[in-house]
Amino acid sequence: MAAPAIEFGDVIKVYQRRFKGTQVRALSSVSFEVAQGEVCAFLGPNGAGKTTSMSILMGFIYADQGRIRVLGHPPGDVRAKARIGFLPENFAFYRYLNAEKLLHFHLRLTGRQPATACTLIAGLLAKVQLDGYKGLKIGKYSRGMVQRLGIAQALLANPDLLVLDEPTSGLDPAGRKEVRDLILALKAEGKTIFLSSHILSEVEQICDRVIIIDRGRLVRAGALQPMLAEGNRVEIIVDQLSPELEESVKDRGASVQREPDRVRIAVDTVQKRALAEMLWAGGSDVISLMPVKSSLEEMFLKLVGGSGE
Amino acid sequence: MKVRTIALSTFGSFLRNKLIILFCSLFACLVLLMMTPLLAYKAMTTASNMQQMQGIVVNEVVTVMSLMSGFGSLLAAWAAADSVASEMKSGTILAVMARPLRRWQFLAGKYIGVLMLMAVYVVIMLGATLLLAWLGGQRFHASIWTLLVYPMVRYAIWAAIAMFLVTWLHPIFAMGLVVILASLVPFFASTFTKMPAWVRLPVHLFLPLTNVLSEQRFLTITKASLKPFPWVSHATVLAYGLDYALVWFLLAVFVFQYRSLSRD
Repeated sequence: MAAPAIEFGDVIKVYQRRFKGTQVRALSSVSFEVAQGEVCAFLGPNGAGKTTSMSILMGFIYADQGRIRVLGHPPGDVRAKARIGFLPENFAFYRYLNAEKLLHFHLRLTGRQPATACTLIAGLLAKVQLDGYKGLKIGKYSRGMVQRLGIAQALLANPDLLVLDEPTSGLDPAGRKEVRDLILALKAEGKTIFLSSHILSEVEQICDRVIIIDRGRLVRAGALQPMLAEGNRVEIIVDQLSPELEESVKDRGASVQREPDRVRIAVDTVQKRALAEMLWAGGSDVISLMPVKSSLEEMFLKLVGGSGE
Repeated sequence: MKVRTIALSTFGSFLRNKLIILFCSLFACLVLLMMTPLLAYKAMTTASNMQQMQGIVVNEVVTVMSLMSGFGSLLAAWAAADSVASEMKSGTILAVMARPLRRWQFLAGKYIGVLMLMAVYVVIMLGATLLLAWLGGQRFHASIWTLLVYPMVRYAIWAAIAMFLVTWLHPIFAMGLVVILASLVPFFASTFTKMPAWVRLPVHLFLPLTNVLSEQRFLTITKASLKPFPWVSHATVLAYGLDYALVWFLLAVFVFQYRSLSRD
């Protein structure tokens, strides 16, 4: 089995407030792993410790305790950074450069200046739909254009691991869809993607796993689909339901939703067998019986107590 | 290659920095303003008042040279502090340091970028000095290398001190402190020998003795020629200056290694 792309083991980070003499515990024994090739969302309300965690794994700040490995190296190691594409939150650039010059600058910082640099950069700018603005200074870009450029620079060195802090922030719906498609295309190429986002419906569409933290503590980590299917209700679809049977069904605490050609009945898992047998016996034809999936947003709010997002 | 990329980018950003352009333009206006009396004195010089006029011209030349030199110290300190502080403040440092770049490489690139700016300033300063001397009816009769090397070493010291302070303190405090230091040191230097021993020792240890690094020590303005100093003297003084700058730069690298990088 391949080593995880990211390993966070019992990481503790405490910020000291010099003048007040107080301490703020940003991360309390946070542990998680991100396997190679998976798209993992890092979720939490504002102030939960997401940016702190991402800064630690990029080597920008140091953890007080814990074991951290990124692509098998300590955070900040140039061997790891050579294989990482990073998009910080609210990406900032040298405003006096244009997109082409900025990407050339970043490419030189990777230590490479391939003969095909111009083609590579032109291709990336086309990929993020900035090829029509090559000559325009970044200072004149809109928020969405800056974000697209940030994504282009993250992809510059063909990284194995992408760390994206709010990749769709500032983008319009069409731009958000393009980024989602781009992430799915990168996933298909086998890249590992670790992203934070507040747009949970998007996370639900693109991610394999989620890690949820709140107030510096790990709340939940795991594969997304099984996590969403963990609800304690099932949905039974029948072809028809007589009024008498509907009364009996409702007596068992089920909810009934009638549609033109079918009837949906939602009930607690513990009741599913008895209810299904009752429906069969009552002359209803059971078309399907499925666990009810909650949305990521519902699950998130349940886990963090609706404190954020 | 990575250090060179950072250095060239830093130098480029200085040339586009509106604040630097504004201050340099204002300073150039001031120097030009101070040069105009020279022309007047020159025009008024006759055989009878030649000696007196010569004295006025020399004073004028020395004043402008001192002003330019002092402004250079402030520029070096400010540029060094700003080169790191502005990256932290805007958050551009995060994208840069996400690249396979070591922290010392980033700081070395910044430092070299500042020295490139100061090299341009020193060449302009030399040009202005020669122009002043020519306007004052003087000519340089010796090598002018001290007018290039000594200010560069002095500015390297200020840049290194500023870089150390900005990696350690909040940029605003660092820049304020370095400007105060740059202003106080010439005062301490002039009264150095009159100080009691208990003050002199710490001052000697911690503040740069920029008076020994002054190119004016070797310049006999009245004859506009360079005093003959033995090469050992030059080597010793320059080694002192470079050593001082290196110590502060290495301290800056050490502190920067452990500093949290975030948007300030």
